Amino acid sequence: MNTISLAPLERWLRGTAVFRSIVRHGASETNRNRSLIVFENLFLHVHPVKVREKTLRFSHTYWLGGVTLACAVLLVATGVPLMFYYHPSVPQAYRDMKELQYVVDNGVFLRNLHRWAAHLMVFTAFLHMLRVFYHGAFRPPRQFNWVIGVVLLIVTLLLSYTGYLLPWDQLAFWGVSVGTNMAREAPVIGEKIRFLLLGGNMVSENALLRFYVLHCVVLPVGLLVFLAVHFWRIRKDGGVQGPSDDAAGSIDEAGS
Amino acid sequence: MKKDSLRLRLVFAITSLLFLIVLAISPAKNYFREYRSVQRDFRSLGMSRAKSLKAAQAYQKRPVAIEQVWLRDLDRVDRCTTCHLGVADPAMADAPEPHRLHPRTAHTPGDLERMGCTSCHAGEGLATVRPEAHGTTAEAESPMIPLAYLEAGCGRCHTSEKVSQASLLSRGRALMTRAGCYACHAVRSHEQFRSEAPPLNTISVKTGGEWIHRWLKDPSAVNPNATMPNFHLEPKEIEELTHYLFSRPVPRDLAAAIEKASAEPAGDAATGKKIFSESRCISCHTVEGKGNGSAPELSKVASSATPGWLLAFLRDPQAFDPVTRMPRYHFSDQESRDLVAYVTAEFRDFDAPKEILEPIRVNQTLAENGKKAFSRLGCFSCHDPIQGEATEKFGPELNGIGEKRAASLDFGKRTDLARNPPAWLAAKLENPRSFAAGLRMPSYGFNADDTHAIVTALLSLGSQPVPEAYRPPLSGSPAPIPGGAVGALIQRYRCLSCHQIGTQGGDISMAPLTHEGSKVQRDWLVDYLMLSFTIRPILEERMPVFRIPKDEAVLLADAIESFYVDPSIPEDPFAGRPEPDRNPVEGQRLYVTLGCRGCHIVGAGGGYYGPPLTDTSTRLKPGWIYAWLKAPQRWRADVRCPNYGLSDTDALRLTAYLGTLHGEKAGAKVGGKK
Repeated sequence: MNTISLAPLERWLRGTAVFRSIVRHGASETNRNRSLIVFENLFLHVHPVKVREKTLRFSHTYWLGGVTLACAVLLVATGVPLMFYYHPSVPQAYRDMKELQYVVDNGVFLRNLHRWAAHLMVFTAFLHMLRVFYHGAFRPPRQFNWVIGVVLLIVTLLLSYTGYLLPWDQLAFWGVSVGTNMAREAPVIGEKIRFLLLGGNMVSENALLRFYVLHCVVLPVGLLVFLAVHFWRIRKDGGVQGPSDDAAGSIDEAGS
Repeated sequence: MKKDSLRLRLVFAITSLLFLIVLAISPAKNYFREYRSVQRDFRSLGMSRAKSLKAAQAYQKRPVAIEQVWLRDLDRVDRCTTCHLGVADPAMADAPEPHRLHPRTAHTPGDLERMGCTSCHAGEGLATVRPEAHGTTAEAESPMIPLAYLEAGCGRCHTSEKVSQASLLSRGRALMTRAGCYACHAVRSHEQFRSEAPPLNTISVKTGGEWIHRWLKDPSAVNPNATMPNFHLEPKEIEELTHYLFSRPVPRDLAAAIEKASAEPAGDAATGKKIFSESRCISCHTVEGKGNGSAPELSKVASSATPGWLLAFLRDPQAFDPVTRMPRYHFSDQESRDLVAYVTAEFRDFDAPKEILEPIRVNQTLAENGKKAFSRLGCFSCHDPIQGEATEKFGPELNGIGEKRAASLDFGKRTDLARNPPAWLAAKLENPRSFAAGLRMPSYGFNADDTHAIVTALLSLGSQPVPEAYRPPLSGSPAPIPGGAVGALIQRYRCLSCHQIGTQGGDISMAPLTHEGSKVQRDWLVDYLMLSFTIRPILEERMPVFRIPKDEAVLLADAIESFYVDPSIPEDPFAGRPEPDRNPVEGQRLYVTLGCRGCHIVGAGGGYYGPPLTDTSTRLKPGWIYAWLKAPQRWRADVRCPNYGLSDTDALRLTAYLGTLHGEKAGAKVGGKK
């Protein structure tokens, strides 16, 4: 009953210039239209137009890549408000942790969510890679995406490491001291790498600023770029690959 | 297919619900935070106590919110007032905690906005939850100073040794100076500290091996006033150190002086006894426990030092130890011989073996080991401080020890202790080596009261220097010590060992010299310096008779007359005042009604707590008498003379009366008038 009375309104809405600029296709449930919806949307077009039903099953991928992505989204969502309350400077950084705890509404929740999501992201990224490895999904035609995946893992680990310094407590200070000392042990260029990372010869305010910029700008942007390539490659390589025994034939079919 | 989708929807609904509940936990915790209910309690308490409707409405309108005091210069935010809302609210005078009004102190309620709470009490100012704010957890960033040690909070800004209204802190700091803590431990503003321990370069001709053995074993057993602590040395170490001390060369001029003194004939002990009591040695030393106790006990001194050394030392103590507090008396050669004869005859340890002063034959190997022990044990910190290298101290730095949290203190083997900084510090003082093997701090044998005072002083040591805006004004400017001949005399007679000048000097004398020139008459001072006598018989410590020659006394008196004056003290207090203000008869009436007689002697009667006033007109200047009567405590905080809050007229009349007192004859004359 309601739909009948709203039909003219909907028709008018669909006719407006604004609506047609955002939704550039019709509403009809045809194959062509479904394809158009995907093609004409930046966010959807990284996804395959068609997904096999069996790839949606939990046992097919254990949703590990999806959980990792969800963590990344959650980390951005909690990281941005945390940036509102944080100053990357020596006298302020640790005090800001205290302020989150004592004064900011739900500050502890926000910070803990960020922290646990970060731990979970590292964990699921590793499991995701193990799953891909054991399902043989690194084999052609997905060899390039495997390499992108390795880059993403490294970016994730670097994000986790740079974030570790930001609370500016003893754990952070010594953790990063030890970590950068390990980098120094690299032959020939070790000292240079350490100097470059810390912006000096010890963990100081320069290191804090560098790690902050890396954590909040450089690495997230890198993550975003490589994630886009990663998803685009999934689509180009014929969607997610599950256990190889019963799906071996379908890979060859889907491969471009 | 249909059934599947229904099941999925159910799962979706349930997980969504669970997710919402989980999400609600944090806002709920946020809403039920402790401070909110505390503030609601305060609101209802305030409304029930309000005297007027308007006041009650003000309490009612108070929003529930975090309160804070921002201390810009200290770079600190104190949120204590979030729960302690009543600290400055007179209506909360006897309310239950946490709403109660803060007791009145020198800084409350006036300085709350300027100093906040953590300046005095410490604790975590940022915190809005109780355990963290009070620092009761072992991991707490900054634990609150327990009430028993609260004066430590005063000391965070008041860094001078003496802090008025903080007697415990002042006592602790004085004890630390006396014990020489700063010789081994770096503490801000004590960089120039120099221990009073004597140099050891004449010890081989001063005493014998047996005495050094006894001393090193336990100094306080030999001399109850000893400031040297007990190092719990092994017999082997004592042997090695003794050999090392005897191997050290004696400076040539001192060796010659001692040798010459030893060859002199013995003096007359009976005359020496007279000189001993006249020179007021026990104003600083003790004899069998009687005396001031700021210098060594003398009753067994002849068993610790040879007569020749004593004689040479007595003639010029400052040549032996440039920083000794002992003045150089003007004894004639014969007088000093008599004095040493008395001391050697009377002040000896009759139980000591004969060879206590026998020197030993130095074994070079032992002496070498002893030299190593001397530096290993840190003896040099007090006895041979390396000048100009104050940064490298033997012990750990103590700045910031008062802000340490329990978790960062090493309790070692002491599992019996409460995990808090005061308990740790007290145990460190009482038994420093009980925490682990190999610790080198000696024991000082402080009693419980001393320990309490020193812990208070230690807790007052913050890690950061006091910001400019919070530095308390110096109490009394550091009056200059003149150079030249006058300065040399002040040095020679070690005036500063007993008297205070500005912020410097000892506290044996009740009379600071800072304003002495405005206080006493020059001619009286000349006489007094030449032959000092007892001004206040009740005091044990009296000015020694230095036998100052007339020219020196005149020089000193003139210098005091011109240097040590206070411009706020009028030369003539009566200038420009009407005639009735100069009425000595009215003044005498006041003298009687105020009960001055209770403490002061005029003529035949009166108490002896305060100085006698019989010769006031020749001793004191009228300007001083007037200034004193207006505010006795202005000149010394611990003066017992009551501040009667006299009007200008009354103070002047009393001054006029006291100005008529010229010894016994004059006192009788005024009395006769009545």
